[in-house]
Amino acid sequence: MAKFDLQETPRLGGYTKEFGDSGMVLREITELVLTSLAMPMGGKTKLTAAVKDTFGLTLPTALKSKLSTDGQTRLVQTQPDQYFCLTSKPVPSAMASVAYVTDQTHGWVGLDISGPNVREALERICPVDLDPSAFPVHAAARTTMEHLGVLIIRVSKDQFCLLSASSSAESFLHAVELSIKNVI
Amino acid sequence: MTDNYRLPESGKVDRSKPLNFSFNGKDMVGYAGDTLASALLANGTRLVARSFKYHRPRGIFTAGSEEPNAMVQLRSGDHTEPNTRATVAELFDGLTATSQNHRGPLNFDLMAVNDLLSPFLSAGFYYKTFMWPRAFWEKVYEPIIRSAAGLGKLSGNEDPDQYDKGFLHCDLLIAGAGPAGLSAALSAARAGARVILAEEDAIIGGRLNAETHEIAGDSADVWAETARAELAAMPNVRIMTRTTVVGAFDHGIYSAVERKTDHLATSAGKPRQVLWRIYTKRAIVAGGATERAVAFKNNDRPGIMLAGSVRAYANRFGVATGDAVSILTNNDTGWDTARDLVAAGVNLAAIIDTRDMAPLHSFAGTSIIMGAAVADTNGRLALSSIKLTNGQTIKTDCLAVSGGWSPNVHLTCHQRGRPTWRDDIAGFVPGGELPVGQSVAGAANGDLSLGAALNSGHKLGNALAKELGLTPTKSQAAKAADEPSSISAFWHVAGEGRAWVDLQNDVTVKDIKQSQAEGFRSVEHLKRYTTMGMATDQGKTSNVLGLAIMAEATGKTIPETGTTIFRPPYTPVAMGTLGGRARGKDYAPTRLTTSHEWGAKNGASFTEVGNWMRAEWYAKQGEAGWRDSVDREVIATRKSVGICDVTTLGKIDIQGRDAAAFLNLVYSNPFLKVPVGRVRYGLMLREDGICYDDGTTARLAENHFVMTTTTANAVLVYRRLEFVRQCLCPNMDVHLISTTDAWAQFAVAGPNSRALLSKIVDDVDMSNEGFPFMACANVTVCGGTPARLFRISFSGELAYEVAVPARYGDSMIKALMEAGQEFDATPYGTEALSVMRIEKGHVVGNELNGTTTALNLGMGGMVSVKKDSIGSTLAKRELMIADDVVRLVGIRPVDKSMKLDAGAHFLERGADTTMDNDQGWVTSVAYSPTFGHHIGLGFVIRGHERHGDIIRAWDGVRGKDIEVEIVSPHMYDPEGGIQRG
Amino acid sequence: MIINHPTLGPRDAAEFVHLGDATLMNRPDWQAEDAVEQFHEYLYQRDNPAGDYRELWYHEQGDRSWLVVTRNTLTHEITDVQMARDVAMQQAKSS
Repeated sequence: MAKFDLQETPRLGGYTKEFGDSGMVLREITELVLTSLAMPMGGKTKLTAAVKDTFGLTLPTALKSKLSTDGQTRLVQTQPDQYFCLTSKPVPSAMASVAYVTDQTHGWVGLDISGPNVREALERICPVDLDPSAFPVHAAARTTMEHLGVLIIRVSKDQFCLLSASSSAESFLHAVELSIKNVI
Repeated sequence: MTDNYRLPESGKVDRSKPLNFSFNGKDMVGYAGDTLASALLANGTRLVARSFKYHRPRGIFTAGSEEPNAMVQLRSGDHTEPNTRATVAELFDGLTATSQNHRGPLNFDLMAVNDLLSPFLSAGFYYKTFMWPRAFWEKVYEPIIRSAAGLGKLSGNEDPDQYDKGFLHCDLLIAGAGPAGLSAALSAARAGARVILAEEDAIIGGRLNAETHEIAGDSADVWAETARAELAAMPNVRIMTRTTVVGAFDHGIYSAVERKTDHLATSAGKPRQVLWRIYTKRAIVAGGATERAVAFKNNDRPGIMLAGSVRAYANRFGVATGDAVSILTNNDTGWDTARDLVAAGVNLAAIIDTRDMAPLHSFAGTSIIMGAAVADTNGRLALSSIKLTNGQTIKTDCLAVSGGWSPNVHLTCHQRGRPTWRDDIAGFVPGGELPVGQSVAGAANGDLSLGAALNSGHKLGNALAKELGLTPTKSQAAKAADEPSSISAFWHVAGEGRAWVDLQNDVTVKDIKQSQAEGFRSVEHLKRYTTMGMATDQGKTSNVLGLAIMAEATGKTIPETGTTIFRPPYTPVAMGTLGGRARGKDYAPTRLTTSHEWGAKNGASFTEVGNWMRAEWYAKQGEAGWRDSVDREVIATRKSVGICDVTTLGKIDIQGRDAAAFLNLVYSNPFLKVPVGRVRYGLMLREDGICYDDGTTARLAENHFVMTTTTANAVLVYRRLEFVRQCLCPNMDVHLISTTDAWAQFAVAGPNSRALLSKIVDDVDMSNEGFPFMACANVTVCGGTPARLFRISFSGELAYEVAVPARYGDSMIKALMEAGQEFDATPYGTEALSVMRIEKGHVVGNELNGTTTALNLGMGGMVSVKKDSIGSTLAKRELMIADDVVRLVGIRPVDKSMKLDAGAHFLERGADTTMDNDQGWVTSVAYSPTFGHHIGLGFVIRGHERHGDIIRAWDGVRGKDIEVEIVSPHMYDPEGGIQRG
Repeated sequence: MIINHPTLGPRDAAEFVHLGDATLMNRPDWQAEDAVEQFHEYLYQRDNPAGDYRELWYHEQGDRSWLVVTRNTLTHEITDVQMARDVAMQQAKSS
């Protein structure tokens, strides 16, 4: 039956680049599964319990993501009643009984940017204050960069995860690449 | 020419680093640390420019960004930049500059004839001279003005430099790193505040670099360097040199321009300048003060300069501005110039102090004249002598003038702050409402002595740190002399002849008096009538002088006369900087479908739809033009099967217990009873009853719908849905998320679409019974890849849309084409899509144009009156449902060889072409390969009752008038049997 | 401008989209006898105060929340920001 096999192609073809000897590295995050969990009205208790059971996490609040102890699951509040679940494999289907689940994996492109100049590069496009005092590790925010909506998460001191719409992935990559080139 | 005005000892230029440069083709040498102005002066170049209006010879007047005269054309070729102030252009090896605004050589400007015509070029001459006849404006006057009153010239080519923007955040922004700014930065930063210290100069210290002050027992510039080093070592401080804060905006937002590479020969591909948007909790304006001139006859000759600048050239750059320098002052700071020049070994000819009092000092060999002023000057291309009011003539090649200091209040005015007058310093200080969170320190606030500036900065830094919840340290302000400088206001020397007030705009004392005499009493009018204070310097050295002269002319005090206020930017900003990197293809992001790459390889031509790039057709070899491709695509689809990427349509995932009720509110037609596994066409109205958007919405599960919107309205519809959800139905359990980018979706249309998809879709009964028209389902394709299948048709054919997760999109188009090979499957683009939808009578943006109702579109029945929905109440208004409104129709030309044009208006045969006779208009047209002639859609009054009538499509723009037959808009398969088959 | 979002803190107005008068939340009852008149008032009649003004902003490049922002039209000072959904729920409760 499967005469026509479909291949999955990362939006940016698995882009990865080291910028000379600057230590700056930009990489497409290809292994990411992204799931939106919308909290049913009046369903906070159930969702909280399920998230605890499934991921060992409490529900995140605005601006601060939660990372599971095994490092495999990150939860981010994206709207007052909506969470993004960043995992390496699909979330258990049982989540559908406590949340409205929408697979977002293919709707986004993820870029991992890291290196000593990461703040300088991002301050060319990111209006959010990324000072560690205001945006510590695990902080998360949705904002706009070069007209594109972006979810930015601080992974470590000099490393950020940037998620933006997959259809404009090339433009987004160009914006981030240019920002790095402009500061190194 | 050699560096023969360079003083032997003084200055901070690095004499071990000589730099070659050229001005007007002449090679010269300067040093690292020079500006172009200081290097020119060191080489004895006095004449550097011609004035704006009269083309008078002009020299360097200041040593800073306030420069009105010395504007040059910097660099060459595509990199050339006009109107660069030589006083802020840092010298680099290989710099080339030319003077501007003259015809013929600089020392013999043919346009200098304007100087003789000056009686005709006085205040308001633009308004008076170029008013009549009107027709002359565009063809005669404007070109003349543009070429004569030009400043520098653009290359005419694209700017090869890169620019960028950025965002910064801080607790405290300090604009200006002079004594007050440094002092404030130290106290605030020591308390732990996040400080940005922005300084327009290349080095820290401000006036300290130009003076011979002492602070804390050390020379002031040593103190400045110590302070810089302390600040630079703090992680909470960011020092930004070559950065000018140019604007203060709402809620503590400031803009600043950082000149990254202007001081280098090449930018090496990096942005030349960066425009920063700085978010601040507090800000301190510590921009210092600007010296101003005194007006007297012929006070504009090269060699006449501001006294503080003459001092700066000696102290900072080690340059003597003349062989025999004289000083004219009305305040004590003029004597600082005398002291410093003598100390540096410059020959001082005379000191003229307008105040009738005892001299402050005496200098051997220097005449000192108290209670006098300069009445006139001589020297054709540079100053040679001055004549005093007491009749005395003094030979001098440089006159250093100090008319007092004006605090730099500009940034305090950007949010309606209105400066107030202080008699004791004869200047305006910040007043009225300052921008939120802004304070002022040092000379900018009228604290003109060094000690006062250091103190005010220190105190303010501490006070603001405290406001921010920090604990100030116990440090003291650095100690310095705090001698008040005395001033006795002196504005201009009365007499015949022209005395310049605004050098950049060639505004004289006479112009100001004349405009006053002509009835321009408000300072705002004075400014606009005389052009005083306009252009690149914004009157930094001249405004107060002009106001004072106006006050005198009206017999009022200066406070009564008032002052104009300032708008951003503080100093000129290049257009390229404002544009940043957003130019060319980087102006806006581009969205690509997942079949883009495949399309590009298969002849696709792309068109922009919003930010999307969509294939408009796929050209094949041998096709003469786009019509060939489009016709082929339409015919192939109607005959066999066509494939179109429809990913760009907005897709919104709607889930929740109240999802159906929610849709029932946002769509005008009923949605409560859509069965699971079915798609329904939905019409959205605006609240005023006008049609807004349409699309199909599929019910995948009891509480799960997927809505599609038009490509153009995807963002707007989503925004509106969130509005309805949060603001109108806050208690509904409904959740939205865009899935537009998550799915790659393809329309597969034509009689063979079922056969083709049967090879792709896994285990689905594709028969008409198993998967009927308007069915939908979650399925898998190609052996297990999740997918969604919809049986919907925009073309009127038997058709499906199949969606796969976007990362499978590229693979999917290839699979569909391969599976379709046996049917000669043809990819089609937006043009063929458009032809087919016109043939079928489907409406798009041309018809849903923001003025049409459901009734106009022939969909009156889709506005349910049995329920509430957005727009349904106001759609009931009488005029919107009257019988005699326009209705959607199809049209075809009576003469089938004729082409139709969208935008043509309908008229009855024989009717005059008047608006009264207007019967409607043509909205969409296409050549229909299906019918073999042009067809169109349009709106005709009562058109639904007029099928078969012949009317005219009159097109005044294209000069066409042809007869058309009104037909049903559903020209292709009006019964819809094909799509249901 | 900066809007102090109730949960996200101060954010640049560039992340937001402005709609207009917050009375747009008070959509009339379609079944009222004078529904057409009420909707006409609702849609077209606006106050234009020189001073405090309650208006709707949408955090499109953020958490997608609609906000009721009280802004002084003379000074741009923003004195109050609330989640529109909370405001709407309050209204629904009290009506």
